[in-house]
Amino acid sequence: MTSTLPVLIRERSAAHRGLQIGGIAVLTGLAVYASTLNQFRLGQLTIALLYATAIAGLNLATGYTGQLSIGHSAFFGLGAYTTGILVASHNWNPLLTLIPAAVLCFAVGLVVGLPSLRIRGINLALVTLALGVAFPELIDRFPGLTGGQIGLNISIFQLLPPHWTGISIADRGVYYYWLAAFLLGIVLVLCATLTRSRAGLAMKATRDREVAAAAMGVNLAWTKMAVFGLSGAITGLAGCIFAIYLGSLSADASFTLTLSIVLITGLVIGGVATTLGPVIGGLAVYFVPYWTQNIRQGEASELIFGVILIALMFVMPEGLVGLITRLSRRILRIDPQPPDRPDRPARPARPARPARPTRPGSRPDDIDAAHADEGAKPDSRKTRLSSPDPGTAG
Amino acid sequence: MQIFLDRLFDGISNGAIYAALALALVMVYRATGTINFAQGEMALFTTYLAWGLTTKHIPVAVCLLAATAAGFVLGAASERFLVRPIEKRSLLATLIVLLGLFSVLNASDGLIWGKGNQSMASLFPNKLSSYVSVFGARLYWANIGVWLLVAAVVAGMFAVFNGTRLGLHMRATANNRESAALTGIPVGRILMLGWGISAAIGAIAGVLFTPLTPDSLGLGEMFPLLIYASAAALFGGLDSPGGAVIAGLIIGIIEVMLPAYVPVIGGQLQEAIAFAAIVLVLLLRPQGLFGTREVERV
Repeated sequence: MTSTLPVLIRERSAAHRGLQIGGIAVLTGLAVYASTLNQFRLGQLTIALLYATAIAGLNLATGYTGQLSIGHSAFFGLGAYTTGILVASHNWNPLLTLIPAAVLCFAVGLVVGLPSLRIRGINLALVTLALGVAFPELIDRFPGLTGGQIGLNISIFQLLPPHWTGISIADRGVYYYWLAAFLLGIVLVLCATLTRSRAGLAMKATRDREVAAAAMGVNLAWTKMAVFGLSGAITGLAGCIFAIYLGSLSADASFTLTLSIVLITGLVIGGVATTLGPVIGGLAVYFVPYWTQNIRQGEASELIFGVILIALMFVMPEGLVGLITRLSRRILRIDPQPPDRPDRPARPARPARPARPTRPGSRPDDIDAAHADEGAKPDSRKTRLSSPDPGTAG
Repeated sequence: MQIFLDRLFDGISNGAIYAALALALVMVYRATGTINFAQGEMALFTTYLAWGLTTKHIPVAVCLLAATAAGFVLGAASERFLVRPIEKRSLLATLIVLLGLFSVLNASDGLIWGKGNQSMASLFPNKLSSYVSVFGARLYWANIGVWLLVAAVVAGMFAVFNGTRLGLHMRATANNRESAALTGIPVGRILMLGWGISAAIGAIAGVLFTPLTPDSLGLGEMFPLLIYASAAALFGGLDSPGGAVIAGLIIGIIEVMLPAYVPVIGGQLQEAIAFAAIVLVLLLRPQGLFGTREVERV
């Protein structure tokens, strides 16, 4: 009995390109459709997309490089406050503030990444926790600069859409939405490109086995620090747009550890070390609590959220995107091709049903599989952040 | 001198509570290799339980015992049914499950006992007049009681760790789970026991800490405590019970003294400074003050 499923498509073939372009077209269509929603929904969606962007930043450090961060709320806040202070006190063009904010968050990320050279796993998580705890306190400590506990307000007239967009003041939500959507799009493309590059391989190798990575010539110090910097910068950029959208900032309300936990939760719900996981995760962590608020006047909201979280870890630990990828591989499979040697003759198609069924935990039987889309390789979804072996852990 | 002593007594009381919670965190870390983010919420849940019993005119000592027993069951059940099935997958998955447990416990507190803050009866006399004078400073009996009870718990734990067969099994399991299992130690039961004891210690800490300040039993009470306790556990070395206790005391005292004597810090930066100091220590000694150096086999 020969089954026609799964359908095999060669990577970088016309069919594969067509699928990719089709996927991007569908996503773009969804984004355009969403922009026609009413202002309230659009505002919610804007925040969810900003969460998604922040989670994509976190994904680089935690998902791909294995550095668990509980301090990313600080980067989000740092970006937001950089924009807020430059616009409110120095009258900058809001969009121009993205540049210094990204540079600042990158620099802070490098500094936070510094301890990761000596401190690993759960200890590093606690160092980033320190950052997350310290940020609101620092904001409150310098009220002259940041507005302190009272908060920082930006005049609405400084945040209006520019004239060339043709968006009226009443519809300004559309402008903020597109800012968030564009930022997310750019970040996703950047992350997808980066994680499929040589640098991405170095990141994953660092995550999976540090010693082996170093032996293969990966510069651990530079990889970890640069990734943390980039990760912080991306999350910071999301914070910038958050400030532009909201117009008023309060560290005690928006940028506490709770935000960090929301971001980590979103990352795990969406799918660790996947390209689209942050998008699903960002939408989920914003909308699930919002919907469950309507049940029993919100009293049970947190309870339901907690139960969902635990259940998710038991039912689909690879996250929604991971689950979808796994299921879709029964129907469609992308056959990986080596990226560097286009002149090499194409390999014969594998039998429709491989001799060794891929299940989580099995080894890729081909070295080229290392270049494959991470969704197609079960091993890369393992996110061991520290050794499970008590002999080395304790 | 008098003000200094007042502050010192406060610092030691807070430090004793941090030490107890840090000890609980270390026990879980040694068993499972993770920080129990729900540790504070387990303690809060059992504290609420004790408070609920005190409102029914049951003696506080009985409530403390009930809370400790409930904590033990809660901790052991969490290990068996939530952590053990998931911990093999990844550290991140375990942390998320614990965050979920955090959410569930906190929300249950609110649903069962209401969201308003409550005052809790103390195990020790805690009237404004029940103190002894030490160089003019007031040392309240409640503080002394907290110190003694925490000291007793810590001493008891060390006696169990170092003097009993059970403690030997626990140390063996923490050291190498596979080897321990091969020598016939019931590793699963030991892990449950470790989590159970750890949550029981947390329950004692919660019941002791809450009466020190009126109106302090609320949904947000334990989270700051957990932060300080994790800082203490990290500072002392995550796998070192003794280190956790010493570091807990140090952090409790520093937290009171720093804002008082270093004006730049003021009332707002105490957590930030405490953490900055700890990060610096970790940079020099990544394993913490008393932790075992991590050796990686290749």
